[in-house]
Amino acid sequence: MVRIVATAAGVVSPIGIGLAEFASALYGGKSGAAASARFPGLVTAEVNDFTPQTWLGNKGIRVLDRTARLLAVAAHLALTEGGLLEGGAEKGGDELGLVCGTMFGSIHSITSFDWSGITEGTNYVNPGEFPNTVINSAAGQAAIKHGLRGINSTISAGLASGLHAMQYGADCLRFGRARVVLAGGAEELCEESVLGFRKNGLVSCSGSARPFAQGRDGIVLGEGAALCVLETEESAIARGRTPWFEIRGFGCTQDAQSIRSFNMRGDGAAEAIWLALHDASIEPAQVNGVIASANGSRAGDGMEARALEKVFGARAGGLAICAPKGALGEWMGATGAASTITAGLAMRAHKMPPTAGFEAGGHGLHMSSNATPISGEYALINAFGCDGNNASMVIRQWNN
Amino acid sequence: MRVAVTGIGMVTPIGSGRALFWDALLRGASGVGCVSSFDTSAFPVHVGAEVRDFHPEAHLRNLDPRCVGRASQFAVAAARMALDDAALKPEDLNSRRTGVSMGTTSGEPLFVERYNDIRKAEGEEAIPGSMLPRYPCHVIPTHVAIEFGLRGPCLMIPTACAAGNYAIGYGYDMIRLGRADRMLSGGADAFSRITYMGFSRLGAIAPKRCQPFDRNRKGMIPGEGAAVLVLESTDRASARGAKIYAEILGYGLSCDSHHMTAAHPQGDGAIRAMTRAMRDSRIGKEDVDYISAHGTGTPTNDRVETIAVRTLFAERASRIPISSVKSMLGHTMGAASAIEAGVCAMALDTGWVPATMNLEEADPECDLDYVPNRARKIDPRVVLNNAYAFGGNNASLCLARYEG
Repeated sequence: MVRIVATAAGVVSPIGIGLAEFASALYGGKSGAAASARFPGLVTAEVNDFTPQTWLGNKGIRVLDRTARLLAVAAHLALTEGGLLEGGAEKGGDELGLVCGTMFGSIHSITSFDWSGITEGTNYVNPGEFPNTVINSAAGQAAIKHGLRGINSTISAGLASGLHAMQYGADCLRFGRARVVLAGGAEELCEESVLGFRKNGLVSCSGSARPFAQGRDGIVLGEGAALCVLETEESAIARGRTPWFEIRGFGCTQDAQSIRSFNMRGDGAAEAIWLALHDASIEPAQVNGVIASANGSRAGDGMEARALEKVFGARAGGLAICAPKGALGEWMGATGAASTITAGLAMRAHKMPPTAGFEAGGHGLHMSSNATPISGEYALINAFGCDGNNASMVIRQWNN
Repeated sequence: MRVAVTGIGMVTPIGSGRALFWDALLRGASGVGCVSSFDTSAFPVHVGAEVRDFHPEAHLRNLDPRCVGRASQFAVAAARMALDDAALKPEDLNSRRTGVSMGTTSGEPLFVERYNDIRKAEGEEAIPGSMLPRYPCHVIPTHVAIEFGLRGPCLMIPTACAAGNYAIGYGYDMIRLGRADRMLSGGADAFSRITYMGFSRLGAIAPKRCQPFDRNRKGMIPGEGAAVLVLESTDRASARGAKIYAEILGYGLSCDSHHMTAAHPQGDGAIRAMTRAMRDSRIGKEDVDYISAHGTGTPTNDRVETIAVRTLFAERASRIPISSVKSMLGHTMGAASAIEAGVCAMALDTGWVPATMNLEEADPECDLDYVPNRARKIDPRVVLNNAYAFGGNNASLCLARYEG
């Protein structure tokens, strides 16, 4: 069987830019949540003081919307760390792909474009802004910026988008559709998405996301971009890169009753975990750590806790769990990718990162405000949406 | 494992349902008319290809049509028609092993329009919270899954005007990987003032009709619609005695990485997508009997697409019939390549390929056999379906006649 491995990653996050900075902030227990300058009265996890020019230069930046900027910088970082930047993208660009998970995509650009049409008049709208309105614009722009001429796909499955994108990239490699794929996601925080979550009472009033906690009161909205460099084991060896972790299994289900309600018993989520374990040919007992989807939402976290209980039974309380959205906020279509990177870091360091916002006692799950030692090879990553879209992935630490 | 197309569902500006649509298509019907979705008086152009006489309540039996955007309504309707066409009852499907993959350009843009209208008239605070969860594009496949109780893989691939091919390619992969037994795969888009304004400001909309490959072509005509194909393994299809329209042989994707809206002048990405599709399908250039063109009717697209086909197929290029159904349907955006994949399956099944209508004066730069103005019986065995999108996203899908 063809083994699909991650060899590098690029991340732009509220707690740091670049893998090293991200890892040190995550293990240092740093939280990205802070009073927002852009959205008064709200605590958010934003990428503040973000100057994409630092990585991308000045050329062509002006036309990129925020999602595209976040993604293009994450791609730059991933290409650099993956040893693909120096002449690589240019030379190997035909076989270099990009898969971007996103939930709201270009919602801000499309809303602004329409807004200028109805307020200033159709004839005053800048046609140069039209390309940014398509949902795949960030992936297209990042491809242009970095000369990525291989497969270029945008993937949407709500909060599960990022994890789906990782698997889509892995499947493409398996079928030989590309040699190397940058896979992950990007999501910007903008007034439209903020308004949506706020009006639906999903945002934490206390301003802190407390995953699985008894007294949790909602999510902290965040933004960011994360991409893994995925390739076949053979490609990694041929390029002289050491594999970091292997994508071993994936499972996804859909169990919505309506677009705004899902199966609260966690049946679909448990099924996604089972499918991922089965795909990886492992038993629940072989899972050494879990990167949870929990974001502090009353309904969603409870559902995930029940799903974990269904799969792991009495062992659920003893699993080492990290819920990175406590620190990162909810990046919607991009979080699955950030969670995968978090899992990779945990397996490499043999330490589960702390969970920001952790409070003892919630659902009897084992999290900590300190890094916890873990052993073994396998980590499970969950990305569950509030619209019934569930995805789980199993990764394995590379030992060869 | 081989993958068959066993059901075709269509919602289009020239008619809905496989049989009606196919009749209209071979007749050369036009779906173009004066735009009725919104007031076009501020635009220099006024025509579009809208789906008329669409009654969502006829197709949505579990979902409430009032809570579901127009693109989702089209998608559910096309999915229901596809299941009927495949002689599959929703209750007979193994729900955990049946998935949905869809493509789109704009998702549910009417919610963005309504958001802005309310914001303009009454201010931001008046915007109802219930509106926003209905916007993100993944609601389209999710709605299909909910309507039919499908629990398998559910994914939106919003790669703009090539999205249908991406979604069908994904469905094909899911079956071959054993992640699903059956996939409902296709694309959907709703007519939107945003899309119309964008293309109008780019000067890309033709004033009256869409004339792909004609010397005097003046642009594309925005449209709307949906198509869904039922995909399953040929073994599964044969075992239940299903009608097999065609077999999917493979697909190829590429990115121009050149410009967000303009195609690479030498058709570099288009050539790579076709090459990959043929490699994935294990066929050679000499095997291709028909090409369903992207053929939008804009001066650049049609010229570049011709260059790409000519470069790839060399002297054989002029002997391969290639036609654009956008001459009749307009450009149905994210639905376009899904509709065209359905057309390819029908062409393989019936032997007939549709015409490029409105082709009156040959363009020296477009010198292929575009099947001008009359459908033709050519009994193709292998066909390519080409689709190109903003973002430089290219996708070619390869289908073949099923011969057991």
